[in-house]
Amino acid sequence: MALEFDRSILGQEFDRVEREPVTVDEIVAFAHALGCTEPCYLEPGSGLVAHPTFVVRYRGRRFLPDSLPDPLKTRMSFDAGKDIDFGVPIRPGDRISVGAALHDVYEKTGRTGTMTFVVVRFVIRNQRGETVATIDNRLLYKD
Amino acid sequence: MILDLHVHSERSDDSRAPVEAYLKLLQRKRAERPIDGLVLTEHRQFDPRRDFRDLEDRYGVLLLNAAEVETDYGHVLLLGVNDDILARFDFADVRLPAQDVVSEVWRLGGVALPCHPGRPTVGLCAHYEARGPLDGVVAVEALNGGSKRGEDARVAELMARYGYAGFGGSDAHLVSFVGLVATEFEAELRGMDGVVRELRAGRCRPVDFRQRAAAAAEGG
Repeated sequence: MALEFDRSILGQEFDRVEREPVTVDEIVAFAHALGCTEPCYLEPGSGLVAHPTFVVRYRGRRFLPDSLPDPLKTRMSFDAGKDIDFGVPIRPGDRISVGAALHDVYEKTGRTGTMTFVVVRFVIRNQRGETVATIDNRLLYKD
Repeated sequence: MILDLHVHSERSDDSRAPVEAYLKLLQRKRAERPIDGLVLTEHRQFDPRRDFRDLEDRYGVLLLNAAEVETDYGHVLLLGVNDDILARFDFADVRLPAQDVVSEVWRLGGVALPCHPGRPTVGLCAHYEARGPLDGVVAVEALNGGSKRGEDARVAELMARYGYAGFGGSDAHLVSFVGLVATEFEAELRGMDGVVRELRAGRCRPVDFRQRAAAAAEGG
């Protein structure tokens, strides 16, 4: 049975969260945890930036919209991966906001049968409105 | 002339391979994979505006635009896609009626080629066993670079039984897989029209460079 839903829900932001300003300690601790050795991720000062993967720390308050097609609302899913498009670096003092929208819902077939993919797009921006990262998070629902 | 008839790029949801990365690898591995061109068969889509001329000029290979669609008999490559075919079928529909796809694509000037027929669920063999054969199939993917053990052997039986021609495709989703399996044509082909003409006539055969590539890797 084909999944039918109102495609106008795609692209509508369903969640937005603003975070406390990023601190030097957070940036440096994250770099240490990764085992980074590059000074730009470790040494406080005007050149300090967060490692690009720092963006994966950010979440919204809700992971899925209320407008999710009905057949999917009650089914289990699992994480089918992320695509991250990196933008400007995060610096100490940046106030990060996370906006979430349902980006795509599509079906495909494979060896194990029919699968539905839900793609939630998180757009992460700084206080200047510059895009820090766009993260497409895929959820897989098995028929 | 040798073409890899089944390649996915980053435009497919399950591939991260840029087309140019394929071409760079083939340039380096020309001795083990003598590929003259690639057919990009993105999943469930076809972009008629796609323009490969710059890459073709820089790398000296033929690059052709096609699609892989999903039907009630499994996955099918569509070559020779035109406005009429695009208007006739919703490529995103994963339940396209296979008989309509095969018949109508032929009538509208293209060719529909069942791919990885030996694969469970999304291959022709399983559906033939359950529902009988389709009319109008001329060639199937005899060698698929993503097949698991035994899957291509099932295709050989299918071809013998129904008299289908065979072709090969790497089904590459990762750069390193491109051109390991391909299709040889006797004719020199300059574009999709010629490829479709030869496939409709069954003038093609699968070629397998995997052993050659493995030997080259062992030799360092």
